Amino acid sequence: MYPSTAVIEKGYRKQFLKRIILLAGLAVATVLSFLVDIAVGPSTLDFAGVLQAIFSPESVDLSVRVIVWEVRMPYAVMALLVGAALSLAGCEMQTIMNNAMASPFTLGISAAASFGAALAIVIGFSIPGIGGDWMIVVNAFLFAFGATLLLQALSSLRGAGPEGLVLFGIALVFLFNAFTGIMQYLASAEALQQFIFWSLGSLTKANWDNIPLLFGLFAVIAPFSLASAWKLTALRLGEESARSFGVAVKRLRFLSLIRISLLTAGATAFVGTIGFIGLVGPHIAKLLIGEDHRFSLPASILSGALIMSLASVISKAILSGTIVPVGIVTSLIGVPVFVALILNKRKR
Amino acid sequence: MRTIAKISPLLLCVFFAMRLYGQPITVTDVVGREVTIPQPAKRVILGEGRQLITLSLLVPDPVAITAGWTGDFAKSGGLLYDDYRKHFPGLDDIPLIGTSGKETVSTEQIISLNPDLAIFGAGSHGPDAKSADIIRQLEAAGIPIVFIDFRLHPFKNTVPSMELLGKVLGREARAKAFVEFYNRRMNHIRGTLAKQPDLKRPKVYMEMIRGTAPPGSPGKGNLGEYIEFVGGNNIGTILPGEVGTLNMEYVIGEQPDVYVATGIAKPGEAGMVIGQNVYTFQTQESLAKLAARPVVSPLNAIKENKVYAMWHLFYDSPLNIAAVEALAKWTHPELFGKLKPHGVLKEINERFLAVPLKGVYFAELKP
Repeated sequence: MYPSTAVIEKGYRKQFLKRIILLAGLAVATVLSFLVDIAVGPSTLDFAGVLQAIFSPESVDLSVRVIVWEVRMPYAVMALLVGAALSLAGCEMQTIMNNAMASPFTLGISAAASFGAALAIVIGFSIPGIGGDWMIVVNAFLFAFGATLLLQALSSLRGAGPEGLVLFGIALVFLFNAFTGIMQYLASAEALQQFIFWSLGSLTKANWDNIPLLFGLFAVIAPFSLASAWKLTALRLGEESARSFGVAVKRLRFLSLIRISLLTAGATAFVGTIGFIGLVGPHIAKLLIGEDHRFSLPASILSGALIMSLASVISKAILSGTIVPVGIVTSLIGVPVFVALILNKRKR
Repeated sequence: MRTIAKISPLLLCVFFAMRLYGQPITVTDVVGREVTIPQPAKRVILGEGRQLITLSLLVPDPVAITAGWTGDFAKSGGLLYDDYRKHFPGLDDIPLIGTSGKETVSTEQIISLNPDLAIFGAGSHGPDAKSADIIRQLEAAGIPIVFIDFRLHPFKNTVPSMELLGKVLGREARAKAFVEFYNRRMNHIRGTLAKQPDLKRPKVYMEMIRGTAPPGSPGKGNLGEYIEFVGGNNIGTILPGEVGTLNMEYVIGEQPDVYVATGIAKPGEAGMVIGQNVYTFQTQESLAKLAARPVVSPLNAIKENKVYAMWHLFYDSPLNIAAVEALAKWTHPELFGKLKPHGVLKEINERFLAVPLKGVYFAELKP
């Protein structure tokens, strides 16, 4: 005997509600982390002062205004954006590759962005008309995007499928790392230092010029991701089943790859390489909420933003008054959360 | 017996000639190694290419005695490097032993160049006192190494390094003249500060501007030591290492009295434009841009226009005396207002340097 539709419906509704609550919980945690991020800093400025500076900037003195608007806010907002972008990219990537190890790092997209940045820093190469401050950003973006197109071209060449895509991606990682190695070999000591600093990933590059750009990018792309949630869930069940549901798998993969590359390129261009978020963000989301992409995509966005925001808090707190590059901290805080979740899942 | 009588005057001549010219030179370098070379070095390896500037304080044609070097001077030297090339066309023919970092250095290349001395920095971008493998291989090949240092402990090691170079290059008189010049100027600053028992130490915020990357600040070592030496209070001492990034919020909270930017950018490059053949307006433009960033706007130093810039490579050079005078002047104008850092460079140009330093090496932001 099969359970009646009423029972199934009830179960579904219960699960649905549980997932909504989990999403809301993640959102609340992210907001709290953001508030902590803008509330703490090496100066004596307290939370009330921060709020006053936010809501009536004219009423506080210049130091407070600058601390809140030029230091704390841009770092905190950038942390949310970068975490959200990388984690969303990672979630889509794991699905289209059908590989739990996939992340923008695994496929050479970050490596390509690094090489682009190295070209700008070491030999000052960029496309004509782009100069000064924007060279690194534009190069990182173009190379990340170019790498994705190359990846797509290679894998469609012989219909290699997801396994082929992963292997080509790994090949690209090594290729671009080698190119970057050559740049480092050629670099002057000063340029090398600059590049190393860039590649460690740091929120100190955030400002009100680049935040709207990344926000715009994310705001345009995320709806397309979410709109593809059904198809991605179908793909998660296997390529055959997805096809039988009428999903154009090849097209889905291609469009998804474009979104992934834009998100990764955008985030990397502005803050440098930040590892682990793209891998661990989606895993945390899926461990909490399951594989239904209507929920796991927004959950990935939130979990990525949350981890990155916590990392930002910690990077300021490790040595008060100094900044530890946030790229170092993301792994330090992401790994324990990740391991705890895996172990917890096992027990159940 | 007769043969001996015949050749003995000859032997005597050879003996005295050897005493005069062939006396082996024994020195103790800055890391405490005792090194003996048979005669003044004529083919030297520079572990850091930029130390060619140091050699040119002592030797009229430093390029002629440089048998090999790393490529860092070409990359970091800006327009100064171009002037060296103009002055010494042979510069382009000096073989490279590596590009810039110590990992790029080929010991085989060094050995094949058949040098009679390698000059390394005790702590440097090139091979240094920690490069155990390179040291062992070169020693096994019979190539003596001396370590000099202007970077790890500039105030302790600059004088011994110059004396050491004077000896191994056979330019003792010249080195002595430089050391006297250097000590006289340093002692003036030391002495003046020693006479101020309750000296107020103004807070100094220094940024090392590197292209478009967020700037680093000196911690306890090197340029941080300069600031403390001239009676300033380096707000970067909270950093764990020699260089790091300060949280701008901390900087604003500290309210530094003096802001100093260092850089090596050429005109047209991103960063702090300063150095050889740079025009005053270019440095001013670059410095004004740094001072106009919203994030530094609340600093007293910016509000009161105590905004300064200097060429970065003084940090690893005996020319550090000019940087010390500039920092002293900026930090304690009431004590050192009369010092003229560019004047120091002028005197060094006239008395020592093979290729004069021209352009802007120090700047005060014009209001």
